[in-house]
Amino acid sequence: MATKIFDKDTILDLTVNFVPLGILAVFIGIFVFADPWGFDLRASLPMYLIMFSMVISLGILTYISGKAIAGDEKKAEVYSQGQAFLDGAEPIDPHGHGENSEETDEHESKTDPENEEH
Amino acid sequence: MEINAQIALTVFMGVLLVAVAAWLTRIEDWRSYSSTAGGVVSQGERSEYIEQEKPAGLIRWLTTVDHKDIGILYGIYGLTAFAVGGLMVVLMRVELATPSTTLVGPALYNSLMTSHGITMLFLFGTPIIAAFSNYLIPLIIGADDMAFPRINAIAFWLLPPSALMIWAGFFAGPLGLGFEAPQTAWTLYTPLSTGSAGGSLDPAGGAGIDLMLLGLHLSGVAATMGAINFIATIFTQRDENVTWANLDIFSWTILTQSGLILFAFPLLGSALLMLLADRNFGTSFFLADGGNLLWQHLFWFFGHPEVYILVLPMMGIVSYVLPRFAGRKLFGFKFVVYSTLAIGVLSFGVWAHHMFATGMDPRLRASFMAVSMAIAIPSAVKTFNWITTLWNGRIRLTTPMLFCIGFVSNFIIGGVTGVFLASIPVDLVLHDTYYVVGHFHYIVMGAIAFAGFAGIYYWFPLVTGRMYQATLGKAHFWLSFIGTNITFFAMILLGYGGMPRRYATYLPQFTSLNVIATVGAMILFVGQIIFVWNLVNSWYAGKRVESGDPWDLKRDGVHTVEWQWFDRKIETAITDGGEEEQNAVTDGGEPIDKSENN
Ligand code: HEM
Ligand SMILES: [Cu+2]
Repeated sequence: MATKIFDKDTILDLTVNFVPLGILAVFIGIFVFADPWGFDLRASLPMYLIMFSMVISLGILTYISGKAIAGDEKKAEVYSQGQAFLDGAEPIDPHGHGENSEETDEHESKTDPENEEH
Repeated sequence: MEINAQIALTVFMGVLLVAVAAWLTRIEDWRSYSSTAGGVVSQGERSEYIEQEKPAGLIRWLTTVDHKDIGILYGIYGLTAFAVGGLMVVLMRVELATPSTTLVGPALYNSLMTSHGITMLFLFGTPIIAAFSNYLIPLIIGADDMAFPRINAIAFWLLPPSALMIWAGFFAGPLGLGFEAPQTAWTLYTPLSTGSAGGSLDPAGGAGIDLMLLGLHLSGVAATMGAINFIATIFTQRDENVTWANLDIFSWTILTQSGLILFAFPLLGSALLMLLADRNFGTSFFLADGGNLLWQHLFWFFGHPEVYILVLPMMGIVSYVLPRFAGRKLFGFKFVVYSTLAIGVLSFGVWAHHMFATGMDPRLRASFMAVSMAIAIPSAVKTFNWITTLWNGRIRLTTPMLFCIGFVSNFIIGGVTGVFLASIPVDLVLHDTYYVVGHFHYIVMGAIAFAGFAGIYYWFPLVTGRMYQATLGKAHFWLSFIGTNITFFAMILLGYGGMPRRYATYLPQFTSLNVIATVGAMILFVGQIIFVWNLVNSWYAGKRVESGDPWDLKRDGVHTVEWQWFDRKIETAITDGGEEEQNAVTDGGEPIDKSENN
């Protein structure tokens, strides 16, 4: 369990940031191959610099944050946002979102009767 | 005249400096702040150390270092600025009801427009976000207070002088001080802002511009201090249970916003000082060849991140509040977190989409278009997550929820128009027309202000211990929603028609749409009057909240820690428990539950 931080679930979470990276890659590809304005170092260098610096920094930040979040998921219980030290809050399955809505419903009904008694 | 202005400026700055110096000497022990933040108290048990230290009355508010008090101060400050900026624009819209000048001349119109923009962005937007983050983040992440409570207080107290300097030109005219309110627009483009004959003689506001630059600089210093404080707080003061994996979305957005502030505001500060030097000390940063383009690059390198500095935390509030009234968790929580971070990075690579029409190299221009297209994705991801959260939820249309849904709706229109502007050929047609004004107002009014209202209504009981009047809250929502859409949709159409922005007059063919926009603005205005009345009246005389869970969140399992804190607070305040179960004052919670779920 604690062996691998970037497992399938985490990669799936990170896909959201792969999309802008992909769009940038497509634009870079178009500019390289279609080359509509020719190459001129003074203009082309900053042009590619802008796009590549974005790709690189987004990649780095995604990696660091993915590592921090997925790492903590494996180290400690995960709670719904704002419930970490709420009395009687139940931990959640960090990968219970999206793919499997049944699971989400199950969690909700599990916590419901608990709250009735308040 | 010129001498007068110089003297006024000197005296003003002198008084300010002496005041600051005097005040600093009164603080003997700079390091003692750690005593209030030192003890780590786990499991949300906050020490009430600061509570007992508070003096009474006005002195308390002037000397407080409690994050909750400072949050309230920020809130009052932000709402005051919102009122000032709002009244300014009411005058402008009345003027624009007719094609020629009637009420306000072109010079005053330009001054009002400049101050409206700067007031709303710097004196309302940033502070109202700081109001929420100061009050709530220590509660939500289980910190005792902010990491540096005194820096927190200093950061706030820099803001009132900043506002006075920004507005100084409006007082100077009537007082005969020889300078006027700036007429540069919030973008301060050179050469208009450098002044044709040096600082104090130029036609765009004279020393009023210098004061505004200093005021802006001060507000930037305040924002940077706040940002450092939030980064330190979120990194080091979290409760041990609050790991990165379950840090709430509002704290994530504030963390990202603070990062943006840290990189963007110091750059603005430098650019402002360069402009000040050009105006007053004979330098020529922006006077040489290419200087005008240099200003635009520096300004927008700050300016675009600034718009995300404003919108990200508001997205955080919506992501936090909306699930409470949909009765379920935020759908795809981590998608929202990662896309927040993506927006944070990418917002530094799009700035020249504000400069497509300047004649810059097409290669460079194209790269900014590419990044602008990429940044639309994370925004769209969030929108889908909000909508999916609503899907099959147990929706309760309370006032905060209405504002959240209004936020999503307006943000979609604002975002889609933004993507069109990010496309170079479209932008070359629409640049500097009312389409741009429509685009960003859908976001700054329709989204940012709406999320602010949602937050204010949602946490009103937490802060005041009282409930606002639900009917008035709903009236405020509907008037705001209808008013926003009438006003700013008319502006989008005006932009398609080719009406340029930033003029006090216009061609007669634009009259009918302008009248519609003015009517919309009046509807908005009525809504905001109701809002202010409701807020003030309910603060003093609203029904007391007796339950620690006024929104009935426990029923859906979406209760959160700040309400647990509130529950404990009122439990210690009320000696006779017993009748807490009635929930008498929930805003629409109960009746709406039982009836339709729309
Ligand atoms: C979906 C992402 C967005 C894109 C692609 C986008 C694109 C653009 C573009 C290209 C312009 C320049 C139009 C021109 O002057 O010709 C612009 C203007 C503006 N946008 Fe956006 N925008 C987006 C989101 C936002 C957000 C979230 C905000 C506010 C929080 C915002 C606020 C503004 C403002 C204030 C201006 C006008 C600045 C001025 O000239 O005074 N935009 N936007
Ligand atoms: Cu922009």
